[in-house]
Amino acid sequence: MAELSFNKDHGYLEGLVRGMKAGILTDTDYHNLAQCDTLDDMKLHLQSTDYGKMLSSSEEDLTVSLVDSKLRENLVTEFSCLRSNALPPLSTFLDYITYSYMIDNVVMLITGALKQRDVAEVLPRCHPLGAFDQMAAVGIARTPTELYSAILVDTPLAPFFQEAVSDTNLDEMEAEILRSKLFKAYLESFHSFCKSLGGATRDTMCPVLEFEADRRAFIITVNSFGTDLSGADRSALYPSCGKLYPEGLQLLARAEDHEQVKAVADCYPGYKIIFDDPEPESGCKTLEDRFFEQEVKLNTLAFLQQFHFGVFYSYIKLKEQESRNIVWIAECVTQRQKSKIHNYIPIFK
Amino acid sequence: MCSLLRGEEMCLAQLFLQSGSAYDCISELGELGLVEFRDLNPSVTTFQRKHVNEIKKCEEMERILGYLLREVKKADISLPERDVNPVAPLPKHIMSIMEQLQRLEVELGEVTRNKDKLQRNLLELTEYTHMLRITRTFVQRSVEREPLQAQYEEFPFLEKDTMLEYSSMQRLGAKLGFISGLIQRTKIQAFERMLWRVCKGYTILSYAEVEEYLEDPDTGEPSKRVVFLISYWGDQIGQKVKKICDCYHCHLYPYPSSNEERNDVVEGLRTRIQDLHTVLHRTEDYLKQVLMKASESVYTWVIQVKKMKAIYYILNLCSLDVTNKCLIAEVWCPVDDIPTLQRALEEGSRKSGSTVPSFVNRIPTNDAPPTLIRTNKFTSGFQNIVDAYGVGNYREVNPAPFTIITFPFLFAVMFGDLGHGAIMALFALWMVLYENNRKLKNTRNEIWNTFFEGRYIILMMGLFSIYTGLIYNDCFSKSLNIFGSGWSVKAMFTEGVWKIADIRGNRFLTLDPNVTGVFTGPYPLGIDPIWNLASNRLTFLNSYKMKMSVILGIIHMSFGVILSTYNHLHFRKKYNLYLVFLPELLFLLCLFGYLAFMIIYKWLMFTAKDSRLAPSILIHFINMFLMQGDGMQPLYPGQTGLQVFLVVIAVLSVPVLLLGKPVYLYWLHNGSNRIGMYRGYERVRRNSEEELYLMRAHDMEEGSGHSDLSTSGERPTEEFDFGDEFLHQAIHTIEYCLGCVSNTASYLRLWALSLAHAQLSEVLWAMVMRVGLRMDTTLGVLFLVPVFCLFAVLTVSILLVMEGLSAFLHALRLHWVEFQNKFYSGTGVKLCPFSFSLLPSSFEHDGLL
Repeated sequence: MAELSFNKDHGYLEGLVRGMKAGILTDTDYHNLAQCDTLDDMKLHLQSTDYGKMLSSSEEDLTVSLVDSKLRENLVTEFSCLRSNALPPLSTFLDYITYSYMIDNVVMLITGALKQRDVAEVLPRCHPLGAFDQMAAVGIARTPTELYSAILVDTPLAPFFQEAVSDTNLDEMEAEILRSKLFKAYLESFHSFCKSLGGATRDTMCPVLEFEADRRAFIITVNSFGTDLSGADRSALYPSCGKLYPEGLQLLARAEDHEQVKAVADCYPGYKIIFDDPEPESGCKTLEDRFFEQEVKLNTLAFLQQFHFGVFYSYIKLKEQESRNIVWIAECVTQRQKSKIHNYIPIFK
Repeated sequence: MCSLLRGEEMCLAQLFLQSGSAYDCISELGELGLVEFRDLNPSVTTFQRKHVNEIKKCEEMERILGYLLREVKKADISLPERDVNPVAPLPKHIMSIMEQLQRLEVELGEVTRNKDKLQRNLLELTEYTHMLRITRTFVQRSVEREPLQAQYEEFPFLEKDTMLEYSSMQRLGAKLGFISGLIQRTKIQAFERMLWRVCKGYTILSYAEVEEYLEDPDTGEPSKRVVFLISYWGDQIGQKVKKICDCYHCHLYPYPSSNEERNDVVEGLRTRIQDLHTVLHRTEDYLKQVLMKASESVYTWVIQVKKMKAIYYILNLCSLDVTNKCLIAEVWCPVDDIPTLQRALEEGSRKSGSTVPSFVNRIPTNDAPPTLIRTNKFTSGFQNIVDAYGVGNYREVNPAPFTIITFPFLFAVMFGDLGHGAIMALFALWMVLYENNRKLKNTRNEIWNTFFEGRYIILMMGLFSIYTGLIYNDCFSKSLNIFGSGWSVKAMFTEGVWKIADIRGNRFLTLDPNVTGVFTGPYPLGIDPIWNLASNRLTFLNSYKMKMSVILGIIHMSFGVILSTYNHLHFRKKYNLYLVFLPELLFLLCLFGYLAFMIIYKWLMFTAKDSRLAPSILIHFINMFLMQGDGMQPLYPGQTGLQVFLVVIAVLSVPVLLLGKPVYLYWLHNGSNRIGMYRGYERVRRNSEEELYLMRAHDMEEGSGHSDLSTSGERPTEEFDFGDEFLHQAIHTIEYCLGCVSNTASYLRLWALSLAHAQLSEVLWAMVMRVGLRMDTTLGVLFLVPVFCLFAVLTVSILLVMEGLSAFLHALRLHWVEFQNKFYSGTGVKLCPFSFSLLPSSFEHDGLL
């Protein structure tokens, strides 16, 4: 029944986002971009795509960071267009997308404050999708409790803090743990929100979020090797909405080295391919890249169905990946690393 | 005329451009707009081409020009006359333009930055004064009773509170600090909450709104702001408060510690603000001057840069001949224009002072050339109607010249009303007379543009509607009695058929044309006006209009079929004449042509006297197919025999149409492999390409086989697939035979729409105008004014615009489907010549020009 009235509220935006999806760079675009010799060539080529005159209006010299910020600006413009036209529950859904960026921003600001950096210096590096009013005041807080009760209680992040509140002083390790805790709460909340929406949204979004949760679990485990984070501490950080829950997470909590993580992943066919030994000709792809690849695959699936919100999430994520790709190619072009230029992750093959 | 019927003859030509003069030559060609360039290096990506750097430079200039135009627009300076058409600048002049532009950009940038800074400064100062003025009321001191305070009576509780707290704090005597500033009104709530949470109540916040709207320096939008004053204790908290203020983007200003200081500051601020105002005015004046200067030549630059970019774009399409040091371009060019092309190239070479001339060389090809049909302002509208259906194949018969007459005529058949037609014609005439008016021409209103582009079509439609209106004798649903009716009511009485009592006793009486004197003869032009009074007018008109539409339709379709012969003859497919055209025409004429014949025969042979004996054509027509009807009285002697003969011919033409062409082609293909399409072609091919080319050139001079030389000349033996050919022909046959029936029926829309139009206008007259006319004299005069207004508005909006559009659409359909599918394939490509005047300007798109 939801499909019947979907278009009344969200049809316009879904059409819009599908139209924007058509502007995602194709294989030939990437092929042409990879042939460029300078950033100016890239600018020339990007002009013939949906990015249009994005880069040409700038007066400063073209640098990779400028490209990056312009791409980001572009994404934010598109997103804010969607957000300002959205009706509930789509507006809530879109807000959920921004929360992950907000969490990243909070943690970045805390680390910045710990390193005695000026807030004005750190602020421009925050992702504009996760911008909120109280952002600049994050540095005031000394403990997570203070952070919560003084600053973040008014922000939408407040509900995620309930588990993360502790009185230990904030240091860098603690900030990372805070990030993981927040993400755990965020993912679980987002997952249950999507479940409550039901219908095609649940069918498309849940696998993506489950994958996201499992990815975090894997990454936390791999990153914790060599630190004093114990298995029990670790298991408190694993989001519990993934496919790994509960057996896989228990195994991961006991894992001691990379081989054991791989053994856990082997039990799950979806993750087995990620941890498989790289084929010799595919070059050295990092674990992160393989996860990204898998994420892109999952996100492209969202466009196969209609009348659901998954397309919005997927579009933002794909566009983000596209920005990463363009920045990667731009980096390779400026540093003359032609051999690595093909390590981008194509989106629609 | 020939060119309008068939389109221009095209040829593929190679241009050999000396690299020194290539730029000028292409500039000349761009001014002329003769030729279409072909891409000779399609495999090279855009940024690997030869003139990328120049194009980049042009884009840079475009960016600066865009910036200039935006600034000019912001300053509300109108651009000067746009009729200038400067030629593309020479490559050596590019640098100077570039320099000028860059200088302007730097200058403008500096001035605007200054202005921005000044404005920011001014805003800060104004904010500061507001703050001082308002905070004064927060902290009440006995000395400071001022009239200003009256304005803040609306915050009495605030005042009292702050006063109390201030005095109590003063008593405490601790390190009392003040932070004051302005914040956006929407943020004050969150700000207050956060202050409370972070500082745990060790601060006191008081605030009041500034009534005026202050401009936001970042967005330029006016917004409401709130002045606040925070009093706090201790440095620690002060640090935190400052951070929170930063985070909410508050504008902080120092808080004066004493009253004297405050007064001093206010005084100082006032003078500074005045100074700033004068400086700002000066800056603005200067900025305006700079922009005025720029706006004088900005339009010229826009055109020049556009042309330059286009030239380099074309140069990128050319391939480079390394040995000869010249560029080779391939163009499609109308054959007639080759001398002009040659002259343009000479002109270009002369301008650049090159010693070696550039030259044109025709080359043979078997690619289908693009279609070029030259039009003028009158024919272009009709050509557009045809092109909207499909651009004609190369050298195919173009329906547009016939459309010029048939389209307005068919429209008018549906729109037949003298009055409406006259209004439409007058409107179009006005547009035609004022077509050079800039205001009408350059408007951005799309709907208006549509009408304006079609002004000649509308004029023709209006004129033809006047004609059909005269024939239908309809003028705003009333009839004109110009020549005097052919009917006489008086005669009925003089002959003694009617008595006076008959008139009293009956509502309706029938005039009998058989009574002498009643019907004296047909009305000289169109329908007799007496029918406007008759109650059976509709029956009479329906029969007339229906038959007329069928006859018009059959004539129109037969004409389409006959036009196809022009194609068959021109493309040297004579067999099509016998195997396609003839059966098609026979099928159409034997069945539907005969129907038209019967209609006309009946009109001519039955007069008022024997009208009761007139048979039904419908029954006769049905019986013709059933091959019976012996029981009925024939229309003319020998009718049955003729009808059987016609049906047999029509039925026999179907298998001819179906099988004739494929079988003939099959036979031709299998039996005539040895007959080459081009004499001696095989032999030449074995020798060398060059020789072949010479031979062609020789032929060309002879003028034999002119146009199809390029098409049939080099064609290798075509793949022939009988199955394919048969399938196509089968589809065509089915489509045609069924189409004849359905298309004939489709022409009945002429009747339906003209009926609808007449009825609508009659209803409008009866429901609106007649109500006003029926009132008694004194009141009626007043009442008629609004009634007439309503009548006029409804006439224009419903009868002219809506009915006009619907009749237009139906006329369009009759042309596209019923007429053009008989002969027009419309699968060609239009020639899009390289012409500066056709290039879109990126600035126009953005609405900057």
